Amino acid sequence: MVIKYLDKFPKKKNARTLWVLKPMWVTLRKMFKTTLHRPVTIMYPYEKEWVPDNYRGRPGLHFDKCLGCSICERMCPTKCINMVDSPDDTGKNVLRPQVNLGRCMMCGYCAEYCPVNAMIVTPDYELAAYTREELIYGPRKLAWPNATEGMEVHLKEHLLSDIAAGETGKLTAFYEVDRPELEDKKCIGCTRCVKVCPVDAIEMYTAGENDKGKPIKLPKFDNGRCVCCEKCVDECPKDAITIKEVL
Amino acid sequence: MSDMWITMGPQHPFSHGLWTLKIRADGEIVQEAEPVIGYLHRGWEKECENRTYPMIIPMADRLCYSASMTWSHVYCKVVEEAMGIELTDRAKYLRVVADEICRIQSHLMWLAAMGTDLGNLTVFLWSLREREFFLDLNVKLCGQRLTTNYPRIGGVRNDMPYYFERDCLRAVDRFEKMIWELVAMMDESAIFLSRMQGVGIVSRKDAANFGLTGPTMRGCGVDFDVRRDDPYCNYDQLEWDVAVCNDGDAYGRYKVRIEEMFQSCDIIRQAMAKLDAIPKTEPTRVKAPRRVPEGTHFARVEDPRGESLMYLVSDGTDKPYRLKVRSPIFVNVSASKHLVKGVRIADIPAIMGTLDMCLGETDR
Repeated sequence: MVIKYLDKFPKKKNARTLWVLKPMWVTLRKMFKTTLHRPVTIMYPYEKEWVPDNYRGRPGLHFDKCLGCSICERMCPTKCINMVDSPDDTGKNVLRPQVNLGRCMMCGYCAEYCPVNAMIVTPDYELAAYTREELIYGPRKLAWPNATEGMEVHLKEHLLSDIAAGETGKLTAFYEVDRPELEDKKCIGCTRCVKVCPVDAIEMYTAGENDKGKPIKLPKFDNGRCVCCEKCVDECPKDAITIKEVL
Repeated sequence: MSDMWITMGPQHPFSHGLWTLKIRADGEIVQEAEPVIGYLHRGWEKECENRTYPMIIPMADRLCYSASMTWSHVYCKVVEEAMGIELTDRAKYLRVVADEICRIQSHLMWLAAMGTDLGNLTVFLWSLREREFFLDLNVKLCGQRLTTNYPRIGGVRNDMPYYFERDCLRAVDRFEKMIWELVAMMDESAIFLSRMQGVGIVSRKDAANFGLTGPTMRGCGVDFDVRRDDPYCNYDQLEWDVAVCNDGDAYGRYKVRIEEMFQSCDIIRQAMAKLDAIPKTEPTRVKAPRRVPEGTHFARVEDPRGESLMYLVSDGTDKPYRLKVRSPIFVNVSASKHLVKGVRIADIPAIMGTLDMCLGETDR
């Protein structure tokens, strides 16, 4: 029998012999203490608890930083993020996330996996609304004016191969190392991947001529700009593009 | 005298969650009991089959609101075993700290519920007051009070902030002083003792046969703890004792939980000292592959409520083929049929309260 705390009673001699006087005494003492001193509770609507910057409330968005890569849409466990067309400052339509906060579970995955830290976590937890439509936050409503650096969630991973080689200081993330790969034979040169790429990392180049003398066009990936959003993989009609993982 | 069926729950104040206990009472004595669960069934295991592996971690938090850290831990552990990833020491100790914080706040939540079960509202308020400090630690560590979403496949979400060690040790030191107030309310009160001592006695043999796990089982004299007997996350390198009580009554199970909170404080201090010795550049998270190789795996950890286990069948894609959850409370609730047999109706809250019910993980 390993129950040690019973031997550690502050005043062991009187313990358990005083009927209910000890609990009465403890409550009485606490009553005087909290009456004279600061109470334990706070007056909630008028004063609020301090929360650190990394508090995971509703997601927020830096509209200008966002690439429209829809990694957040893909990673969201509850599928509460939709990519919508939204006019930017110059009036051009761009893809930006829209969050249905009625479904959001505040897991912070959108902020964590965002390659440019455009999605952030905000300390906003008072989200009550009168209608369900109000809970659908568009890209502009998602903005959080007092965003600090602490609200960004950085994805810092180590590669297993680096650890095996003894390099432990090297931090990376999947959007820095995983890159798309083309299977040339399957490609039909439809250029859909070029149109869908959010960072313009894909260009078509002429790889040669076919039997009829027409040029064969193949996509070429700019690995420096790619963020591994897998949009080209999803779009490809012939499944010619796959993501090559680096581990 | 004719017997009477009484339905306790699903909205009864003694049932911590949505479940029903049907009892056949002969006067004051319970002749027969029938637990009914399923009010909170959400199809959790089926939902997992439609999600990729990282997406299930925040869902595993929702299995039990006060043991979210251990549930996402056991899920990450089973996927890591399937992928063959070995964690670094720093990630392991961070998980230990997070798990023990979770254990303390879960036991405090149980103590609060236990207090209201026995009609002692002061205990409820005071244990929730102590619990706030550990929920604040959760916020500092991972940004959320209850649904922590902290472990990741291959490590943890983030390294601890620079002020976390100081805050954590302060909270633990303070807790060890303040818990004596709670202990004085319970252990030194004749009313509490008379309601708990000698009530709901389970023998050592019965406890093993019912499949009870966790503090409920250790309160019946079975000396088994997954942390010690099947060590994970470097628990074998820390020095602590498994709290066991041979009494087997409700008071014994209460004592085991209180002792576990003291042991958790010790574990947190030791793990913090170990974290200090590890350089901060040590990796806390490794990049996990998306696909899990084909096969079946299981992993278990010591939940605050018992032994939680997940069984994973993967078919080589990025989504699990089947994920089975072994919930400790599902098994403990099943034993309630035998636990409450022959006791008085007024003793049922005291007996079922010591099981620390959580219906989210039971019905899943």
